[in-house]
Amino acid sequence: MPVAGRKVAVVGMGGAFPTCTGVADFGEKLFAGKSMIRSWDKALAYGKQIRSTVAGFITEEEMDLEAVYNVASAEYPETYIDKKGRIPDINLATADMGSIWAMIGAKESIEMAGWTEAETRSEGTGVVIGSGGAGHVILRNAWHGFFQEGRKSRAAGSHTVDRAMVYRDAANVSCYIKNRGVCESIGSACATGLGNIGYAYRLIKFGLQDRAICGGVEGTSLETFIGFDGMQVLSKGFAPEESSRPFDLQRNGFVCSFGGGIVALEEYEMAKARGAHIYGVIDEYFNNSDGDGDMFAPSFAGQHRLWAGLAEGARIKPDVVKVHGTSTPIGDIIELLCVTDVLGEEGYHVSAPKSQFGHMLGAAGSVEFIAALLMLENQKVSPCLNSSTLNTEPEAFQLKEGWTGPVKPVSEYRHLLPQETIEKEINQIVCLNYGFGGTNSAIAVSRDV
Amino acid sequence: MDRKEILEGLIEVLKTIRTIDPAKLENVTEETDFLADMNAPSTELINIAVKVEQKFDVEFEDDDIDNLGSKVKDVIDLIILAKERG
Repeated sequence: MPVAGRKVAVVGMGGAFPTCTGVADFGEKLFAGKSMIRSWDKALAYGKQIRSTVAGFITEEEMDLEAVYNVASAEYPETYIDKKGRIPDINLATADMGSIWAMIGAKESIEMAGWTEAETRSEGTGVVIGSGGAGHVILRNAWHGFFQEGRKSRAAGSHTVDRAMVYRDAANVSCYIKNRGVCESIGSACATGLGNIGYAYRLIKFGLQDRAICGGVEGTSLETFIGFDGMQVLSKGFAPEESSRPFDLQRNGFVCSFGGGIVALEEYEMAKARGAHIYGVIDEYFNNSDGDGDMFAPSFAGQHRLWAGLAEGARIKPDVVKVHGTSTPIGDIIELLCVTDVLGEEGYHVSAPKSQFGHMLGAAGSVEFIAALLMLENQKVSPCLNSSTLNTEPEAFQLKEGWTGPVKPVSEYRHLLPQETIEKEINQIVCLNYGFGGTNSAIAVSRDV
Repeated sequence: MDRKEILEGLIEVLKTIRTIDPAKLENVTEETDFLADMNAPSTELINIAVKVEQKFDVEFEDDDIDNLGSKVKDVIDLIILAKERG
């Protein structure tokens, strides 16, 4: 249970962001209204086998990494070389791409936080990082060699387990930073990134840890991409920068993206006492399930209970609501209607950063949390790109019997959805993320005043 | 292929193992121990064995690897044995 008076501060951040050189560049592109989505050559190479060909991807070169390929398979990155010398070879040997991004993000976060080596390596420091997908890039090649080519199990080398296991990102970061507290992963599909931060927040709030490196990563993987492509849920038919269009009438799916967002959390008084710069103070985290048995459909009632649960633990009066807003036909409007039903129709703005970089799956919640921290830091709301035409008619589900939410069409909420960056006083931001399985998560983060 | 040639080939393989410090490969003899002298992580012995199989075009038995010592001469002995077995 929460320890009375114990608060949690965000003191560092880092990670991997499509087309960006780092957090600072990410912030600049965010507020410049730039798209980080590109046409993906790896998808295009499969021609008619693949339906969507745009993504927010990150190449090895862009992260200053070089793959060392296995002699038996030109597609199997046996390990990586860090051309910037950030991560030791011993750690690179046990890491898939996402885990390397997690280690780089952890390094950046700790440097920004200013933790000493003793603090980082103490029993009070935990690591909580997860991914949406498995280590697909590693597993595909290992399995292909064994099942299709009849190779010995050892032919793929001795690192398929550590490079592909469920909590590989957390394990690699823990081995890299040598903390002595907890090391775990939370998996909740597209809510994973926020879920790991929320869990780490609770560890500190409940007095179990003093510090945590936490977040979510999703390494670039065509294997991951084709799973969603096969579900026909990815955006199709637009120029790359116009592909992700939350709330827009023409939206037809999300843009599958990759990246990593890692943050450093610290017990507030400890951070204050050592004079750390505080990027935000977490007011509360809450998560729940829809409870309607539906794996995929968003739930208005479930999201309503999410807001109620969040408000039980803290005063909730956001100046910005950072929505999940994926650009899928159903999800966006249900989410927006729930926000307006709870908060009213004035006094805040809605930010949908997936409009700029797509849906980073297991990293979405943590990268978007970093976007929210940058909004707090810069006192700017990032734009909802491509939300050019809003439906002037109610959605079909709004007209169905049993619908208890607002019946106004989305065009009535134009004033909540800025198409360009706006500057204003921002004291609190609520971040929302949901995932397959009917899982919902929300965090409220405030400026330190 | 004599032991000296095999040793040279083995060193070429070891150069591709990123977790072994290249400086440790300058004075490798048959008595050099992968774990004690090269500080190679024990999991890397499997990777070394796999790369050796590819380099020398041989296939080891599972028991060979289970019983493999950690010295350079152990690997050279095994390569010769595997080549003799065909």
